[in-house]
Amino acid sequence: MRIAFAGNPNSGKTTMFNALTGRNEKVGNWAGVTVGRNEGPFKAEYGAENIAVDLPGAYSMSPFTPEEGITSSYIRDEHPDAIINIVDATNLSRSLFFTTQLLELGIPVVVALNKSDINDKENTKIDAEKLSTKLGCPVIKTVSTDDKNNGLADVAAAAISLMGKGQKAPYLQADIDLHDKAAVDAEDRKRYAFVNQIVKDVESREVKSSDTTVQDKIDNIVTNKFAGIIIFAAVMWAVFSISQTYVGPWVADYLVGWIESFKEWVAGQLENSPAILSALLADGIVGGVGAVVGFLPLVMVMYFLIALLEDCGYMARASVVLDPLFKRVGLSGKSVIPVVIGTGCGIPAIMACRTIRDERERRATAMLATFIPCGAKMPVIALFAGAFFAGAGWVTTLMYAMGLALILLGALLVSAVTGHKFRRSFFIIDLPKYKWPSLKRAFWSMMERAKAYIIKASTIILVCNCVVQIMQTFNWHFQVVEEGMESTSILATIASPFAVLMIPLGFGAWQLAAAAITGFIAKENVVGTIAVVFAITNFIDVDELAMTGGANAVAATMGLTSVTALAYLAFNLFTPPCFAAIGAMRSEMNHRGWLWSAIGLQFSTGYTVAFLIYQFGTLFTEGHFGTAFIPGLIAEAAMVLAIVLISKKIRADFDKKYELHNNVQAA
Amino acid sequence: MEQIMRLNEVMAGETHLVQDVKTDDEEMRAFLFRLGCYEGEPITLISKRKSGCVVAIKDGRYSLDNYLAEAIVV
Repeated sequence: MRIAFAGNPNSGKTTMFNALTGRNEKVGNWAGVTVGRNEGPFKAEYGAENIAVDLPGAYSMSPFTPEEGITSSYIRDEHPDAIINIVDATNLSRSLFFTTQLLELGIPVVVALNKSDINDKENTKIDAEKLSTKLGCPVIKTVSTDDKNNGLADVAAAAISLMGKGQKAPYLQADIDLHDKAAVDAEDRKRYAFVNQIVKDVESREVKSSDTTVQDKIDNIVTNKFAGIIIFAAVMWAVFSISQTYVGPWVADYLVGWIESFKEWVAGQLENSPAILSALLADGIVGGVGAVVGFLPLVMVMYFLIALLEDCGYMARASVVLDPLFKRVGLSGKSVIPVVIGTGCGIPAIMACRTIRDERERRATAMLATFIPCGAKMPVIALFAGAFFAGAGWVTTLMYAMGLALILLGALLVSAVTGHKFRRSFFIIDLPKYKWPSLKRAFWSMMERAKAYIIKASTIILVCNCVVQIMQTFNWHFQVVEEGMESTSILATIASPFAVLMIPLGFGAWQLAAAAITGFIAKENVVGTIAVVFAITNFIDVDELAMTGGANAVAATMGLTSVTALAYLAFNLFTPPCFAAIGAMRSEMNHRGWLWSAIGLQFSTGYTVAFLIYQFGTLFTEGHFGTAFIPGLIAEAAMVLAIVLISKKIRADFDKKYELHNNVQAA
Repeated sequence: MEQIMRLNEVMAGETHLVQDVKTDDEEMRAFLFRLGCYEGEPITLISKRKSGCVVAIKDGRYSLDNYLAEAIVV
């Protein structure tokens, strides 16, 4: 049987889902973590023939945001066999509104009074038996976050035992015309009155919710206009520098050492085999994939820290503190969460935009969120910071700060282009109670992401590296390219035309163009491809390379100066993300014009930022502009022209619509 | 003329009954309703800042911006 998990946002549905199914879906302490449907069979001890369906949180059956729509339409149209209604027991009076709606559908409901541990702590007592009688369904106290005595087995058993039974509704909406707004309003009020009466009968509280607590005092500080921004910057800086400058590289050092020895061992085994085979296996597969895997510890540390951040309740506060700033550029505080999630991966970040009500804000956020460097871009940053800037922490910080700045500037541009008149949108966000983040959950979240990273490295990235290796080994006549004739290889001839476009950016080498192109498949490929085309593996411990190779070998091999390296890095970070993220953008935007504008904007941004860094960087370091300044300027002018034309067209369409509207009114 | 007070004029720590949600934005009214913020229900102002405030509605805490706070008549 299929059992749907429904309830208010942040009531703990996904935590319960994970506990009952053994899955590892994303959880977090804010409203709106789950934005899609997750399905999975119960663990064997709960009955593996039953499928649990986790749904996004909703306050009622009438949806406001796209993700709430998923919940109400699933429950209405897909006829689950039972519903487990997860109720936040600390906010019974709000939660039961939705519960009474669920009870009207005829599908058997089990109410799980979740977060009962918090109620115990605050001495809030809920009479579950009485509530069960009043609602006409089983009511079970649960603590999803606990390993034992959590009540979950009882909930599962109760739901399964109701198979095939109906559900009597304690409250039935009167037969009203659903188009009559006043009647619907009056009905909803009656429903709330009914709920209020139940709560009065079953609940007794010692701590009034309106009392100011320590939590409120913390909120005062972290949402303060000045302190709040500084705290946000410090928190994010800590996450990035711990993972990329301190703890991460320290662990990575060992890992890379092992990968190096493994590569040498493979090369040794292949000593007597054909050179091509050894090149493909040792350099292409072990070298390229190894280069990407070498950065795994950095990524893992970051995922661990982000999981802690998501679990403690800070995310909602970050949204509050950045709301005024984001509003000024035509977004809202709700756009902050996709941006923070985007530091992990762009795809869930784009999906998280569903919680934004306003369509224009939602699309603009999906368009811009991937400017913040994701976990896959992290190895690229680490490589360049390490090879060209002696691992300087400022490079990393600068890239993230630039990502955030580009989001804000991009939002301003989108507002200007769409002729958005700053329609005031309201901002309200649930401030969940803080809690100590669970180290265990952060650990498993980290392992889950690490698994995905390794799978990606051993599939997509492995294949790409092999293809790159083969393409650079052979020319179009399928002869092995001779030394000194590298530019005749298949890879070189394909990548060269693109490399020409990049001359104004300071990196017109075909190898770098090839790396940037493979980056669209997966950003880690930039690292893998560079490893393959320049035959370098160890990017982490560049000091060692410097000792063995004389000068900084990585930098020297790639033939980039620090200015061009920075330009190339920025180009890779701020051009469109991988294809998978573009796919996510397509489905969230659901509009061809927006999608192509997004891709166009991202290309223009990457190109422009790289152009500015290279040309002005060269001006400052060498006293003159870099090569091909004028052609680059022409390319920039073309981009500006395209944006102006698009804006004109949008405004014209808008006027037309408005005109039509006027005509209708006149007639 | 009858004196009306908006939520953003309330002092921190005070609890009032909501009189009305004055807005042209139907969505705003409906959204607040679902959280339990509608005529006759108590609302407590927990703290104020320049750009908005924190309130307690039923048993939950929410951060509102001033646009919302101005719409709530208490």
